[in-house]
Amino acid sequence: MIVSPSSSSSSSAKTKKAMKKPGLGDQEETKWRTAAQQRIYGRRLIDALRATAPSGPQAVKEAADSALALTARGQSRWSRAILLSRRRPSCKFLLKARRGRMQPKPPPPVLKLGAPASPEGKKVSERLRLLGRLVPGCRKLSAPSLLEEAADYMVALEMQVKTMRALADALSGASLNAAEHAVSDE
Amino acid sequence: MEPPRSSGVGIDNSGEYSPEIAETLRFEEEIQSLIHPSSFDGSAAPTGGGSFTALLGLPANQAVELLHDSGAREPLASRIRVGEHPVHRPFHLPLDCSSAFPSNATLVDRAARFSVFAAEGSPASSSGRLKAEPQDSDSPPLDPIPTGPAKRKDTGRSKCDVRLSLSFKSQAKVTAKKSKNAEENTDGDKLPYVHVRARRGQATDNHSLAERARREKINARMKLLQELVPGCSKITGTALVLDEIINHVQTLQRQVEFLSMRLAAVNPRIDFSSLDSYLSAECGPVTVRNGPGGVVVDPSLWPTDATAEATRRLLVPQFWHIDLVPPQLQPQQSLTTWERDGAAHSQLLPNPTTSLFLYDPANSGDTNVPHRTAKLKTAEDRALNL
Repeated sequence: MIVSPSSSSSSSAKTKKAMKKPGLGDQEETKWRTAAQQRIYGRRLIDALRATAPSGPQAVKEAADSALALTARGQSRWSRAILLSRRRPSCKFLLKARRGRMQPKPPPPVLKLGAPASPEGKKVSERLRLLGRLVPGCRKLSAPSLLEEAADYMVALEMQVKTMRALADALSGASLNAAEHAVSDE
Repeated sequence: MEPPRSSGVGIDNSGEYSPEIAETLRFEEEIQSLIHPSSFDGSAAPTGGGSFTALLGLPANQAVELLHDSGAREPLASRIRVGEHPVHRPFHLPLDCSSAFPSNATLVDRAARFSVFAAEGSPASSSGRLKAEPQDSDSPPLDPIPTGPAKRKDTGRSKCDVRLSLSFKSQAKVTAKKSKNAEENTDGDKLPYVHVRARRGQATDNHSLAERARREKINARMKLLQELVPGCSKITGTALVLDEIINHVQTLQRQVEFLSMRLAAVNPRIDFSSLDSYLSAECGPVTVRNGPGGVVVDPSLWPTDATAEATRRLLVPQFWHIDLVPPQLQPQQSLTTWERDGAAHSQLLPNPTTSLFLYDPANSGDTNVPHRTAKLKTAEDRALNL
């Protein structure tokens, strides 16, 4: 089933993009869920893996995350945060400088949901803070942008998991085959 | 930016938020259904442009009085969850609908104050014309678009901007959005204001209106997230939904970690050449890597690098290309990788024999590809094709 990738990706991209949900998430989802994106990410991932082959799982994960952030093309805050933190892992001051430069607006006050005094509001704000810690680079973000970033991040993560799983399966299958053949050759 | 659009929904930030076309259409249908069966008081036919401003020959006061009179009616339109979008887009109905006169002064007044519906781009909207649907009983669900003095929506838009909100037809709930200037609106050149209508019975001062708009924004995004997370639509309550979302994100991150462990385990045993098979799938060539004692074909190296380079150049804007992969993708590095794997790599360029071998499969498709390669490739292709 070796289909020419361009056509297959475009066609599947179309079908996958078919559902245009109204709303904000529309663009992000269609952006991440196309097969083309998966291929792009897959390629990047493979390249990165090749480069970091000797290291352990943490390096693989970091490479995968960086590849994911790269595929995001810098349009989302979390991707920028990931890339900036990886580029020069020891340059925190650089990060701060960049943060000043790259963030057009100063970090807004932490999540105020209008009525945090109420117990529900407190819970909600707590959870929003937690979410902010989960999504890279979104610790001090206002609620609506945080939610938006979280949505984008989630879709990207889903794509990442799918691609990585496929890759792992393929590779383990391939290595099994190779091993078998190697054994049989000898 | 869509004057041609019949729905006349203004789109402010097309880049960022796509208009809820579906909702608009639904809304319009609602309006149409309301309009057509009902009989109009065609007292004032709208002017050619369908500007409802014509309707408002009444001074504001009278309109207000009228509104107060029939205060019971609820605007229908406000179903429009315009608030979901940072930029409010007034709903524009085709001109036919215009016609009723503002009989309900209260509503008109409120509309005037809080929701600015610019009448279609004509400057008429600029002055605070009130457009209200008069409707005592029947109803034009259309409502003229009141333009508050302070908040007017400037539009270059199309003809009838009608805001249904003042439809008196049924005691539909009034969901109003308040209009305010929110920062998010200012970016759209056409919609500097967010129009939100105040709900009936809710406070209408600026602060609460601003808060309400903000809350609606947040709610809209939460809804999106809910749709993303499986099984979240049934949960009510922000905290629980957030719980689910956090849970889901953590799950996904954990999965990534596990998968990276798997990949790390598999990595040392991979012949990356086979990976290139799907990298270079577009180029056609399938590469085989016979580690021990076989012919080393690393044609993949060449086209792959070319592809990768091309990909990188195409896909990655200048800033990003510095990132991550490029330095490591240099051929010499891959060479070392290959060497490590036992390949005989002396060359960047494949030697003639191997290149022949390489391009053979390229030319002839799968036929010349050894069985093993084919299997690898198909497996990986299948994986990638998903």
